[in-house]
Amino acid sequence: MKVLKNIIIILTVLLCLAPSKSIAQREKIDDLRATFIAKHLDLSSGESEKFWPIYNELNDKRKAIKKNYRQNLKSYSPSSSDKEAEDLINLENKSATAEAELLKNYNDKLKLVIGAKKLAKLKVLEEEFKLEVLKAQKEK
Amino acid sequence: MLNTLTNTKQVLIIIGAFVLFQVEIKAQSAFDSLNLKKAKHYFKTTIFLDSYSKANQKFLKQKETNASNDSIIDRRLGSFGVKQFNLGFYTPIYTRTYYNSDSTVYSNTHYLLTGNFLSMRPTFDSIKDHTLLKYGIGLRIIQNTGKKGVWFIDIQPFTTTDITTKTPNGYVRMANSFIYSHNFSQKFNMRFGLTKSFMWGNRFFLPYLGLRIGKLDGVNFSMQIPKNISLNIPINDKIRFSIFSKPQGGMYSFLNNDSLYYFRPEAKYFNFTHYEILAGIRLDLVFSKNISGYISSGSSTRSNITFYSMEKNSRRPNVPYKLFFYEKSLSPTGFFNFGFVCRFGKTKSYNNDKNMYDVFDINNVNGVGDVNTGPGNTEIPIKKSIKQSKLNLEDIQDLIDVTDQ
Repeated sequence: MKVLKNIIIILTVLLCLAPSKSIAQREKIDDLRATFIAKHLDLSSGESEKFWPIYNELNDKRKAIKKNYRQNLKSYSPSSSDKEAEDLINLENKSATAEAELLKNYNDKLKLVIGAKKLAKLKVLEEEFKLEVLKAQKEK
Repeated sequence: MLNTLTNTKQVLIIIGAFVLFQVEIKAQSAFDSLNLKKAKHYFKTTIFLDSYSKANQKFLKQKETNASNDSIIDRRLGSFGVKQFNLGFYTPIYTRTYYNSDSTVYSNTHYLLTGNFLSMRPTFDSIKDHTLLKYGIGLRIIQNTGKKGVWFIDIQPFTTTDITTKTPNGYVRMANSFIYSHNFSQKFNMRFGLTKSFMWGNRFFLPYLGLRIGKLDGVNFSMQIPKNISLNIPINDKIRFSIFSKPQGGMYSFLNNDSLYYFRPEAKYFNFTHYEILAGIRLDLVFSKNISGYISSGSSTRSNITFYSMEKNSRRPNVPYKLFFYEKSLSPTGFFNFGFVCRFGKTKSYNNDKNMYDVFDINNVNGVGDVNTGPGNTEIPIKKSIKQSKLNLEDIQDLIDVTDQ
């Protein structure tokens, strides 16, 4: 009985400390994208072994850029100062440059692993994935 | 002429490598200048609670002409049952990720701090319940080569003590594992190594031999000798079912306050060992990416308990350190086990990274603190279609571009 009581106390504390829903939800779209691409890209097991760690790393970095920019965008209001407006525009420019450079760098790496043809197919699949998600949302 | 050409070629290669290196630095520099917060690890800090119980089993009366230690202590104890509670955790303390020289193979090394606190209550009919503790802090190093192999090193020092009375007692012990895991393909894996463990009731140095057939994110049969054998069937991304068989047990310090060691009353404490083979089913329920739970039930077989005093045995010439003064084997009975797992923090992505899945599996198969129970492989995602998923607008925000027509 005493053990059960202790378990209930610890469970309650853990549930209170449990992380917010948003982190878990953000991971959901990555899982779906990965499943979609894995299904259609026809990678050999050797290619798959090297491709996914690099592709995941690229996505993590792109997400970090977008999240950072969006957070700054959210905190901006019409009453913000001219300097804050300038900073926001600079951040957008910097983010766009960083993303473009990342893409170039990682495209080079991915091309070494899966070749240009499959890399081009990946780009097509990424677009198709967007449409699939939007279509599924519309149906709901 | 040929020499000049070779030299020019070498110079061009050096310049080319330098230019490529510059591109790499430049490509990273714009990203780095943003000073973004990034996840450092692949593992989430994980805390898990596990409760295990097995009902008391009456000792069968034996007809004996001469009273032996066993029959005298049998009468004193009357029956045996187990109530066990374990709180364990692991947390990443350092993760090193890097590309190999050809910049296409991505490898990583994970350093995890592990720890557990186990309370074991052997319940006997005629003596007051003893509360035996086993706790410790350990270190795990897992190296993912990024190709086919994963190396696993586990160092788990722990202390056992009986807190039934305030009499000081206890031992410090060390459980270790050194394993190499090789992924021949996504569906076939083998592991080899050595493990020093107490879960078979005493200190054993055992070879480790593992075999898995089937994908980790699908149906698979896994035989990890001497840790467990299981058939794992994911029903969907929320429910996972498994049929398993595994040993459970340990070596604990036990106070002699009930004078069970009646012919050595001066002994303050002695060793109590216990092991059993569990065979049953387990259902893992994934409530969210960070919270999961499990229930498990089945049969406890080959249950065995022993009492011995290492201290007293070591003083006797030509006597092995584990000469038992009491040993009892029990008939099969049922057990019930449930647990709760909570994960914290944000991690780097590892979607479809089969080597990382193997890293998670090897970490989960080898229970923290030499306790053969764990949180399960719930961090390995089970594939789900877009239509099955519940997405909200925030999830799909990144997918929409202002330039999309």
